[in-house]
Amino acid sequence: MNRHFGSRQAIGIAAVSALALTLTACGGGADSGRSGDAAEGAPSPGITDDSVTLGITTPLSGATAGPGTCTVAGVTAYFGMKNAEGGIEFGDGKTRTVEIEALDDTYDPQQAAANYDSLKGDVFAMTAGLGTPTNRAWREAAIADEVPQALIMTGDPIFSDTDESPWQLGFVPIYQNEGEAFGELLAGSSAEHKVAILSQNDDFGEGYVEGFKSAIEGADNIEVVQELTYEATDTSVDAQITELANSGADVIFNAMSVTPLTISALQKAQQLNWKPNWFLPSNTSSPTAILEPGGGAAFPGVYSVSFAKAPQSPAFAQDEDVQTYLSALKEYGNYPDPPAFPHCQWSWMVGATLEQAFTEMEEPTRDSFMEALRSIEGFEAPLMLPDTSVTTTEAGQPAVSTVVVQKYNGRGYDTVESFE
Amino acid sequence: MASSSKTSAPAASAPTSSAAPSSASSFRQRPWVRWGAPLLLLAGLAVLPLVGTESFNDTLARIGVFAVAVLGLNVVMGYTGQVSLGQIFFLGLGAYVTAYGVQSGWNIVLVFVLTCLIPAVAGLLVALAAARLGGLAIAMVTIALPIVGVPLAKRLSDFTGGSQGMSARFVEAPEGSGLYDDQWQLYLVLVIGGIVFLLTYFLVRGKYGRAFAIVKGNENVASSMGISPYRYKVLAFTIASLIGGVSGFLYMVVVQYTSPETMSFGHSIELLVAMVIGGAGSIVGSILGGVFYVVVPDITNAIDPSLTALLQGALLLAVLFVLPGGLVSLPRAVMRGLRRSPAGRGSAAPPTTPSSTPGSGTAAEPTETERQGSA
Amino acid sequence: MTLLELEDVTASYGPVQVLDGVSLSVPENGAFGILGANGAGKTTTLRAISGAVRTGGRIVFDGKDISGMRPDQVAALGIAHVPEGRGSFGDLTVRENLRVGAYLRKDRKGVDEDIDYCLDLFPNLQDRIRSNASALSGGEQQMLAVARAIMSKPRMLLLDEASLGLAPSTAKNVYDAIRRLRLESGIAMVVVEQNANLAFTLVDSATVLETGRSVLTGTSAELKGMDEIRRAYLGG
Repeated sequence: MNRHFGSRQAIGIAAVSALALTLTACGGGADSGRSGDAAEGAPSPGITDDSVTLGITTPLSGATAGPGTCTVAGVTAYFGMKNAEGGIEFGDGKTRTVEIEALDDTYDPQQAAANYDSLKGDVFAMTAGLGTPTNRAWREAAIADEVPQALIMTGDPIFSDTDESPWQLGFVPIYQNEGEAFGELLAGSSAEHKVAILSQNDDFGEGYVEGFKSAIEGADNIEVVQELTYEATDTSVDAQITELANSGADVIFNAMSVTPLTISALQKAQQLNWKPNWFLPSNTSSPTAILEPGGGAAFPGVYSVSFAKAPQSPAFAQDEDVQTYLSALKEYGNYPDPPAFPHCQWSWMVGATLEQAFTEMEEPTRDSFMEALRSIEGFEAPLMLPDTSVTTTEAGQPAVSTVVVQKYNGRGYDTVESFE
Repeated sequence: MASSSKTSAPAASAPTSSAAPSSASSFRQRPWVRWGAPLLLLAGLAVLPLVGTESFNDTLARIGVFAVAVLGLNVVMGYTGQVSLGQIFFLGLGAYVTAYGVQSGWNIVLVFVLTCLIPAVAGLLVALAAARLGGLAIAMVTIALPIVGVPLAKRLSDFTGGSQGMSARFVEAPEGSGLYDDQWQLYLVLVIGGIVFLLTYFLVRGKYGRAFAIVKGNENVASSMGISPYRYKVLAFTIASLIGGVSGFLYMVVVQYTSPETMSFGHSIELLVAMVIGGAGSIVGSILGGVFYVVVPDITNAIDPSLTALLQGALLLAVLFVLPGGLVSLPRAVMRGLRRSPAGRGSAAPPTTPSSTPGSGTAAEPTETERQGSA
Repeated sequence: MTLLELEDVTASYGPVQVLDGVSLSVPENGAFGILGANGAGKTTTLRAISGAVRTGGRIVFDGKDISGMRPDQVAALGIAHVPEGRGSFGDLTVRENLRVGAYLRKDRKGVDEDIDYCLDLFPNLQDRIRSNASALSGGEQQMLAVARAIMSKPRMLLLDEASLGLAPSTAKNVYDAIRRLRLESGIAMVVVEQNANLAFTLVDSATVLETGRSVLTGTSAELKGMDEIRRAYLGG
């Protein structure tokens, strides 16, 4: 049997290639329906005269399901509310309702790419999905297919680089934006400050430090006295904190994304009786999950950044935006509980920003949509904090690049204008 | 598995039933059948990419990727009986080698060779240490692979692109072929995956496969016949790693992006589940495992995207209860069901039916009496 | 001419000393019996020879010290172990099991001839050649285990309790076939057996083990009917 195999395989291959050639020759032209075939000016897929469909791939199960579910809930609630009001009037004069098709990718890049492939023929644009690898997995495919990947939830700067990513736009601030905001506040201080830096040894930490350093460049009153890193997999940063405590710094810029490490860093510093002003990234600055167990109140100031109103905060309890949002989230977003993650608010803002683009878009095409999306300036989306806005015209920046620095008040955060 | 072979064996071996199988096997032996069936299959596979929609082709290609990964796992687990929980690591390693090679502009053939070699060498080194331990210790060592792999991939950002991962779009349909990219990708997966399946088929059918089966069956007997269990465990693990590397190459052909998430531990368990669901120690089972791995998340997404994990768990339990031997045992289970039901008795191979019950009875009885007599 | 020689072999499972100085000598073409009560160390002696347990003392096979070798290395030298409990491959057919036994052999023709020889030796297997091993009766499984060992073309066969769990007539059939094998092939044998009368139909000489030590060695004729033999089996 083995002996005959060689010749049989050869015949098989010959037959198959002949068959393949014939079929390619006659089938090539008739085989339509693949993206990129649409004629100029014709409506893109996923849009009709009375509705438009948007696609989302995001983690709905697994470890990141919490924030992932929020990314769907906010935008679904927003358009659910708008649809109930009769829909949105687009720039071409037609009024359309907005439908959302969301798929679970479990934070698996392979599944995200598969979800994109299955959605791209039916949806007008992809939006709101969470995660760097899960958005990177199909970024190039979206460019090749000319499918918008608009207002996604990742701080990865590549999505905000118009040359690299012509069909993409990130929504949330990139890491650099956050570091820069704190740097600017610090540079504006009237006093002199010595800064210690402790950052995660990856693109997350590097992005924060890069933004921070660019903001304090040339500021005579700021001196970085020591700079240390740790690995995201480390179980302790006690050694680094001890070393930094001896540097005599009065400010620590702590670009850390791991919750337990952040808590133990705060505790270790108190144990050493080192009480600097402390900067934390937006995703590791939760008052309940981090600052309370870490004893944040012991420090003269714990700072972080934000651009969204926190619905739980008593300061916004009577806010009209917040009340509309919370009731829509319950009614249309299939999210009955108070939102546990800021991604719910961000997703709501994505809805408002998309509406903004829809009203400016003159043709029912993806090209026209991207053009409209890239021409929004100073749009104050609902739930946005004062002094922050959506601006999509700046090269290299995500839709939200302005953040305000906030200071911990023992329970929540207050926006601060200057560093005291 | 064992129980099914026990019940079916006497039926097949009983003298009165020999007429039916021999006529069936002579049918299979006819030259036009032996040549025609594989040719027809090949022709079908060759035409498939041309007639499918883009999304269909893409799904098929991803099935191919994970079928190869499951096949590798089957070599070490299904055929050799060594628990490995690290197969996804070798897929990830292969994907990274491919991405790095492509981004560095190396010749694609060289990249492919390295994608085979590097995971194979990594697998060999792990196996040399782990196979000495035996039993659950191998499972423990292999668990460590993806657990170490993810942070390692993040750390070695010069080679891996860190947590942002690496893209490599290197498979575009050649100019003038008239093919769409998805068709070309599917052809690559079919050809490379097909060759891997064919080679593995011959491997497990041949001398080495027999040694794997002996080691799996009884390590002491293997030793008593001059077969070193250690050596064959290492060999099986190395081959599984190599095949894992190839699946990583195919992963890059289809997905075109890899990141530390690609090799997260959860996926290793999913591969294991896919192998068991498809059918352990089976070539066809590996393909069915690939189908399960790829299609089930799509189906559960279509039913309700917010309940995917729950639905997948329910489906897994359902399959294991109904078909403990995996999906590959479905035809056998259906046949048995037909034979048992009176309606099926008339239509399904009459000569085997009457002989099956008395045949198994006579075979079992002396065993029982002898054991009782001696006790 | 001595083929296998054990000199003062010791072995222990953890803290338990199982062999406490076993010595024996098997000539070329000879058959040697190891007798004794349960737990006397008979099976462990065979495992010591085949390399499955660590040992002290010396084990010399064909002029070569094999103590400390791995089981597969010992097997490759031509010592085939038929372990207690048979250990055939239930999912494989009888013929496939026989081929498994010939795994290390390269002479395809010789293998086919030896399969025929085994089937001639054990006609029961001939009838069950296409059956899965798991469907065989206890006696057939024992025959298959011996036949599989023969397939490796060994110079020496280690037989462990070949009659265990078999009806007396079946056990006799098995021993008849092994005796014929011995006469026709001249393979040397070390035979562990509870049933002394059955053993004496096969072996030329034997040793009696008591708590891991050889207490009595002699030819079959000398040992038959001796008090020690009876005592050994009564455990006294």
